[in-house]
Amino acid sequence: MARAYDVRRLPGFGAIALLTFVLLYLPILVLVVFSFNAGSSQSEWDGFSLQWYAAAFANQQVQDVSIRSLWLAAVAAGVATALAVPAALATTRVSRFPGQTMIYALINQPLMVPEIVTGIALLICVAWVKVNTGYTGMGYLVAAHTAFCIPFAYLPIRARLETLDPTLERAASDLYASPVQAFRFITLPLLVPGIAAGFMLGFVISLDTVVITEFVKSAGQDTLPTYMLGQLRRIITPEMNAIATLFLALSLVFVTAFFLITRKRG
Amino acid sequence: MTPEIEITGLSKVFGQGAAAFRALTDIDLTVGTGEFFTLLGPSGCGKTTLLRMIAGFEAPTTGSLRINGDEVAGKGPNARPVNTVFQNYALFPHMTVAQNIGFGLKMLGRPRAEVDTTVAEMLRLVRMEAMAGRKPSEISGGQQQRVALARALAPRPRVLLLDEPLSALDLKLRKEMQSELKRLQSETGITFVFVTHDQEEALTMSDRIAVMSAGRILQLGTPHDIYHAPADRFVADFIGDTNFLTLPVIAVSGARATLTLPGGQTAEAILPDGVAPTPGQSVTAILRPEQAILTEPPGATLTATVRSAVFFGTDTHLHLTLGDGQPFVLRRQNTGDLPVPEPGSIVGLTLGPGVLRVVRD
Repeated sequence: MARAYDVRRLPGFGAIALLTFVLLYLPILVLVVFSFNAGSSQSEWDGFSLQWYAAAFANQQVQDVSIRSLWLAAVAAGVATALAVPAALATTRVSRFPGQTMIYALINQPLMVPEIVTGIALLICVAWVKVNTGYTGMGYLVAAHTAFCIPFAYLPIRARLETLDPTLERAASDLYASPVQAFRFITLPLLVPGIAAGFMLGFVISLDTVVITEFVKSAGQDTLPTYMLGQLRRIITPEMNAIATLFLALSLVFVTAFFLITRKRG
Repeated sequence: MTPEIEITGLSKVFGQGAAAFRALTDIDLTVGTGEFFTLLGPSGCGKTTLLRMIAGFEAPTTGSLRINGDEVAGKGPNARPVNTVFQNYALFPHMTVAQNIGFGLKMLGRPRAEVDTTVAEMLRLVRMEAMAGRKPSEISGGQQQRVALARALAPRPRVLLLDEPLSALDLKLRKEMQSELKRLQSETGITFVFVTHDQEEALTMSDRIAVMSAGRILQLGTPHDIYHAPADRFVADFIGDTNFLTLPVIAVSGARATLTLPGGQTAEAILPDGVAPTPGQSVTAILRPEQAILTEPPGATLTATVRSAVFFGTDTHLHLTLGDGQPFVLRRQNTGDLPVPEPGSIVGLTLGPGVLRVVRD
């Protein structure tokens, strides 16, 4: 009987599915293929070569912005995750209180407010703070990325908490555990997959974000995506393809890790 | 009886204003040390709320709760000498069986050697030595039940609370665990407070039972008292099977009343305390299905028409209609290959002395 409702049997389904996948992956495939081009064209294939990868690795600027991107993502995702854990606990491990849904929405602000709006708002605020304090360090980027990462860290942690039986914590306190001990020995170990997933997702989001960084960064604070954006205003060589391909590979590693962690449920 | 748990004037109201729900009303209860005490009632009667208040998961709205003489109403669950076996066991999934059992002692800060010794002793007590290194997901439901028991007993609580712990087990395993629980209780001497909605389980296991309904204790007594002298119609109906007969009163003398049975004969019935009907008034009397004996119609106390007979092996249930049309179920024990009366035939019933009892409606 279920076969009668199989969407795959609807006319045109196969064609639409194929078209969707082509649109999704063909441009990326072209980008990746031309990163291995021996020539410098984006449209004519001159044979296989790893020269653009070698060029990318040798490029001091690429190295600098990559390292900056990675540590920024690590710090922002780390702090966001640390903040997301208590936020998730406070919105799931309490009896329902008025305004609970409101708080949930407020925590997820970055998911609702257009990124460009947040970017402009940050630009104005950061400029004001810079004028008044004279501080021009990485603090602004760290703060902006952290705030932006919080919902992405919060959602998987909250999802994990919702599947955890609160009776376990009750059992721990029944067995003489203080609230801190119950968290340390029961909630936290069982929350690890959620925390790891939250960190991974936050990391990837920080790594990918362009708009926020573009508006907040000071001179010499380019991340990999803003550097790439800057380079595109000049001549595009397959070196950019190579950098993009490596960036894609790195993102894929984290996204895959995220899926593996969230799939495996204790 | 040394009191272990003393509850006085305990009430619990959930919510406020128009949405307020009174879960427990004026509970007075004393559980003795070493007693197997059961809270019995249908779902929603407040038995689990009462258990959760003894454990410390809920705070009473009013009243006092003492354990071993100490007022615990303001204390958290981790500050009470009480452990719980949860309905779904609530075993810690990331810990082994041995780590689960040792958790309470570890939290109490006992030395490692003592924890290990007690864990080994508990594993032996519940016959789970071979499973010490397994995770809860790697053992069966019955085994999880034993681990949950061992975990709750390991810290040697003064009181063990059991929240319908057998409801998830199949019949055979449930019977096995019932005797297992009785054995553990007599071996450890710990006071057990057991919550169940299964009246048979309550009758077979308990020293005393509190029958609850709508947030109140209707009757508190031994299984024998509750079965044979139910306080009111609800208790009589909830515990075992009962025939309710509406019968007119002829005379009252002290705690006994003479009632007219369908067909004209009379019988003596026991009156509960505080019930004094006047002659001419009708009362509700109860008679258990096994308390009437099947005889030949001549010389019987009552005669009845057979509507149907259901054969159960050990006994046969006869669905009868009395002379005045009231239905009656009689349980005849099959002491041999006895003939089953045909539907439509007339049978006689005799009543043993003192079996008829008036109940409060």
